[in-house]
Amino acid sequence: MTVNNIADVEFGTELPAFTPDTTLAATSAFAEAVGYAGNGRFEDHEKARAQGLPGALAPGIMGMGLLSRVIHDWAPRGRIRQIDTVFRAPVLADHNHTISAIVTDIDEASGEVMLDLSIKNEKDETRVFGTATLVIPLS
Amino acid sequence: MQDIEELREKFLDLEFDRTGFTVDAKQSAKIARAYGESRPAYTDPSDPNFEVCIPMLASLASGRRLPIDFPALGGISMDGGKSVNSLAPVRPGVKLTGRTHLHDIYAKSGRSGRMVFLVSRMQLYDSEGNHLASTDSRQVIREKPE
Repeated sequence: MTVNNIADVEFGTELPAFTPDTTLAATSAFAEAVGYAGNGRFEDHEKARAQGLPGALAPGIMGMGLLSRVIHDWAPRGRIRQIDTVFRAPVLADHNHTISAIVTDIDEASGEVMLDLSIKNEKDETRVFGTATLVIPLS
Repeated sequence: MQDIEELREKFLDLEFDRTGFTVDAKQSAKIARAYGESRPAYTDPSDPNFEVCIPMLASLASGRRLPIDFPALGGISMDGGKSVNSLAPVRPGVKLTGRTHLHDIYAKSGRSGRMVFLVSRMQLYDSEGNHLASTDSRQVIREKPE
């Protein structure tokens, strides 16, 4: 389900749960695009483990991108004004993750909508959480 | 152990870095495609409404992470999170100036000791002085027990 204007948004609505691509191929591609590739942290499990990490991981700002993508898919005419992400634990490559978002506040006069956001792994452990404010057209 | 109030009094809200950027449209589009963005305004540089994607803004790094005279806190430093506040679309090719200051310093204590949070805020301006966006980088330092 998508929303086109502020009247379509209901308090407490959960955005459709989304399973992002956090395979090693995806984290590698993102790291290469943003200029973070090279030391293996995002592209190679063995090299990441050699650096003391549990495995290759998704760059923190990739999580921010995945969350913004979910918001854009839900509100195609909305504009993200602010997004805040807390990196609680690594998003590990080749693990399954789920993105959740829920509407926590609506200002019908300004079109502002507040969302709570999270990325959890297959053990239901929160890896990233945050909030976003987006502006949705009034009509 | 550093006194947090002293650090706040000495360092908060003082610009410690000024760095210039020009964002490349192709790179921003490549990043947007890599996280699965669907909007052409972020993935297609030929789109008339094309703008720099949020993770690209978050990736812009100041020349210095902390003020030059900021004391070493020791311990283990971690990336605690990022925030982007978008005030107006950032178009590629525009000369940007990022002005960075420490926006917040605070501590949390737990069973494993104290963690110090340093929030650096970069404010991005275009060449006419319009404030387009702000990005926060939250650095977490887990102090070594004394």
